[in-house]
Amino acid sequence: MSEEIRIGVYVCHCGINIAGVIDVKQVVEHAKTLPNVVVAKDILFTCSSVGQNTIVDDIKREKLNRIVVAACSPRMHESTFRNTVEQAGLNPFLFEMANIREHSSWVHPDDPEGATEKAKTLVRMAVAKAKLLEPIEKSRADVTKKVLVIGGGVAGLQASLDAANRGLSVTLVEKLPVLGGKAALIGDLVYSEKKGWQIVKELVTQVVTHEKIHVLTNTTVENVSGAFGDYHVTLTITPRYVKETCLTPEKGEEACPVEVPNEYDFGLTRRKAFYKPFEQAYPPLYLIDMSSCTKCGLCLEACGNNSIDLEEKPKTLSEKFGTIIVATGYEPYTPSLGEYGYGKDGRVITLSQLERILSENGPSFEDLNLFDSVENIVFISCVGSMENPRDEGARTYCSRMCCSSSIKNMLKLRELFPSSNIYFLYRDIRTYARKEEHLYEQASKNGIIFLKYDLSTPPDVKINGKPSVEVLDKLLGKRIQIPADLVVLANGMVPPADILKLRSLLKFPCSSEGWVAEAHPKLRPVELPSPGIYIAGSIQAPKDIIESLISASAATAKAVIPIIHGRVELEPLVSYVHEDVCGACGICVSTCPYDAVQRVALEDGRRVARVDPRLCMGCGQCVSACPSAAMQQKSFTDKQIHEMIEQLVV
Amino acid sequence: MVTSNPNGKSVLIIGGGIAGMQAALDLADQKIKVYLVETLPSIGGRMAQLDKTFPTLDCASCILTPRMVDVARHEKIELLTYSEVQEIAREHGHFVVKILKKPRYVNTETCNGCGICVTKCPKRAPNEFNLGMDERKAIYFLFPQAVPLVPVIDPTACIYFLRGKCRACEKHCPTHSISFDQEPELTEVEVGAIIYATGFSLYDPSKNNDYEYNTFPDVITSLELERLVSSTGPTEGCVIRPSNGEKPRKVAFILCVGSRSQRANYWCSRFCCMASIKQAVLLKEHDPRIECTIFYMDIRAFGKGFQEFYERAKSEFNVRFVKGRVGSIKENSQEGNLLLRYENIETGYVQEESFDLVVLAVGAENPLRKPPSFLELDDDGFIAVMDRYLAPVYTSVEGIFVAGTAEGPKDIPDCVVQASAAAMEASILITGGE
Repeated sequence: MSEEIRIGVYVCHCGINIAGVIDVKQVVEHAKTLPNVVVAKDILFTCSSVGQNTIVDDIKREKLNRIVVAACSPRMHESTFRNTVEQAGLNPFLFEMANIREHSSWVHPDDPEGATEKAKTLVRMAVAKAKLLEPIEKSRADVTKKVLVIGGGVAGLQASLDAANRGLSVTLVEKLPVLGGKAALIGDLVYSEKKGWQIVKELVTQVVTHEKIHVLTNTTVENVSGAFGDYHVTLTITPRYVKETCLTPEKGEEACPVEVPNEYDFGLTRRKAFYKPFEQAYPPLYLIDMSSCTKCGLCLEACGNNSIDLEEKPKTLSEKFGTIIVATGYEPYTPSLGEYGYGKDGRVITLSQLERILSENGPSFEDLNLFDSVENIVFISCVGSMENPRDEGARTYCSRMCCSSSIKNMLKLRELFPSSNIYFLYRDIRTYARKEEHLYEQASKNGIIFLKYDLSTPPDVKINGKPSVEVLDKLLGKRIQIPADLVVLANGMVPPADILKLRSLLKFPCSSEGWVAEAHPKLRPVELPSPGIYIAGSIQAPKDIIESLISASAATAKAVIPIIHGRVELEPLVSYVHEDVCGACGICVSTCPYDAVQRVALEDGRRVARVDPRLCMGCGQCVSACPSAAMQQKSFTDKQIHEMIEQLVV
Repeated sequence: MVTSNPNGKSVLIIGGGIAGMQAALDLADQKIKVYLVETLPSIGGRMAQLDKTFPTLDCASCILTPRMVDVARHEKIELLTYSEVQEIAREHGHFVVKILKKPRYVNTETCNGCGICVTKCPKRAPNEFNLGMDERKAIYFLFPQAVPLVPVIDPTACIYFLRGKCRACEKHCPTHSISFDQEPELTEVEVGAIIYATGFSLYDPSKNNDYEYNTFPDVITSLELERLVSSTGPTEGCVIRPSNGEKPRKVAFILCVGSRSQRANYWCSRFCCMASIKQAVLLKEHDPRIECTIFYMDIRAFGKGFQEFYERAKSEFNVRFVKGRVGSIKENSQEGNLLLRYENIETGYVQEESFDLVVLAVGAENPLRKPPSFLELDDDGFIAVMDRYLAPVYTSVEGIFVAGTAEGPKDIPDCVVQASAAAMEASILITGGE
């Protein structure tokens, strides 16, 4: 390129975020002394429209062909300014950012002079790199017109319906044999006359009758390849072993000699290996749980050989999708053995188990024969939530729904056992939704006794015949001992264990606890940092049913956009190989977290590494791993970086 | 210029706050034409008045401004700022909406936002954006990053409008964009769906002189503190006691003012606990010697990362939390500050303690701008939704949706999520799944 390099440098005040520490005028004056810098200015808020317009005008008037903005982190505004530059008719990659806020003013508030010098250095480095920038063409790819929804709970059901009602084809995958997730196991709800399972039933009815939705239960995601807009997904469908043509599956269940804890009742009851998950389950089919089946053959005798095939093989299915919605939900926290007496006495149960008991389709107190009479019921809040942040592996978060769910169920128990005393050992009452505050008030009026405990002095549950709960009530300042007929542990939410597998397949970030990390906690709560995959419901963080349903519609609003457009823009700052110096050692192949690098044979038989630009996310790991400098990344070439380092050390 | 859309395959969004902007962007990205109506001269809403956001302490402007620019730049979004919806009528399944554009007295097409007019204007008036804590000019930008960056003339303050002369702005405007004879302009749009994102108003403690708000200048609201702590606020980020301009040494935050109350609103306003904790942390960041005490009933740190932030406020920033209500506030003439009498529920004692500044964490109420009579409100005055579970953004009128705090108090992410959900449902309705 023989054109003259003409650089514009813009130094941002960011209100007082930068200018409160750094002498912005000095930085501008320094920039003016640098080679090829034609324009240097300071701007109050460069990201504002007036700031952006200044850049556009200067590009046109001064024929600038490289732009440097010294402001905040590129994570914040790089794309903003690339758009600005493009608007002025320049290639958007002829732009470079110097981060003088996070890297200087914010971290050196007590050293204005040092911070100003550092800002000058950062600008000098950016200008040096800008000289070497080259235009990069954005590439685009076609989008497969189909959405994959992973998870058939309320969030996945709502997301499927929204996408299908918007006219798109949807495949809904659920790993369990039934749809509906945790909400299907809940009876009474706050804010509705309907039951949890009725809400699920209404959603399921719409989903399974929708011609655009393909529902696959008992199905897991086995493998994902391809890239944004064109994901190739392998699904494995686990057989039910009981054919739909079986006319008398109840007989098979009756004949089955194997009993295991029933996960749909959170272990309160037992089920057969030949079973139907629960009443109102959809699909309403029996199946055999092969992990516990002994293949004794008694069910075959009961139902007939043609109805059951114990040797049925899993099916695999490969499909292409444009976008993916992850709606895998949560698991209720299971207290460890002995935690508040859990597992030591049947009268210590979790809130999830209580929801089952109080739900129409779960076991009743009578079925379980837990007690003869009830005098005292004790609820303990924050079990598995809001743990001490100093403890390793602590679940430090609030699970959001347990307070109102506890109080809702206390009021129900108050009706069932009018003469009992009900205690709530709590830390803060977080009935934040409007009607829930009424519930809280109602609970106080109905004689529910609220005792506040502290993280440092948790209640102690002793099992001596009857469970006995001792708590230091913060408000009375006294230790209180309650002999309890029923102890309910308000267990929080935890991420599902198999999220790790999905995470490695779909390459999304998670918090230390395992919740999926959204692109931005305030403004992009249903998106991920990379495009194409969206999150719905409680996999992002604990949510109640209403919040999960709303977030599912929100995630779908994003997931349909690339499909409506039909084409997507791919990551432009990808790696590439200088094939003449590549020794095909393969280090880059094993380094790449996205499987974007492969070894290929050239026509002359020589092997070299090659990058699939559709898969490359521009992380640069292969570049630093390459021993022969054959691997380079656009806009981060060795030459550009060396030039920056030279400016750092002059 | 506004043109009516004969197919009604467009959406009107009322309210240019974070919810309205999010809904507009999601629809426009789905290639759907959007009219975004905002009554103030700039979009941005309440979030524009915030300094930093909890729990990440992201600067609110830094995340909001790019959104505002995206909205203004989007070819599918037509912005109608400083405009009000006058009438909504239903015709053949579409809505015909009359919108009144209030006169800015500045030509939006030609103004380049240079701001010379503002510097030349000789007249000052109370600055609403800073809650009257400082002054703006009679011609002014709502705030420095306003979108569109076009000033407005306040005819109740402008010398020309009051006395028939001055015209300093007109004289100095390099683009000849001042136009004193602008009239209100009525436009009409035809749309297939409407989203109400009209936001909330804050509980006004002056009505009942709660906590002596009217008596003592050093009793301020949380939004007033937010403006004081903000670099674009009246003191450029210096927190002062309004009574004497000095820096406060001891600050008390009183939670649930107008919320969870027998006398005012019974509901929890959801964001005030975290906003107050954030403000206490910001004050501590400004000056670690400031002592911050938060008087609370329950700390409702229920969102993602909130509980962790609350723990950090206690352990890392030494913010003090007292469970208890403040009963009275009196002048402490000896120390020249305020004497708070409160019950510390945990110790059981009634105590007295003096503070330099008292911040009332006022809650959210139904918006002052009343929605039209045909739209059902719930018992609390917020826009009612048809089924909280299965139709959480559908109002009582088919084709009209709701998003954000118009439906009830919410924090920013909950507003954003509901706005995207409303956009999804509106897009299904108007495209008919095509």
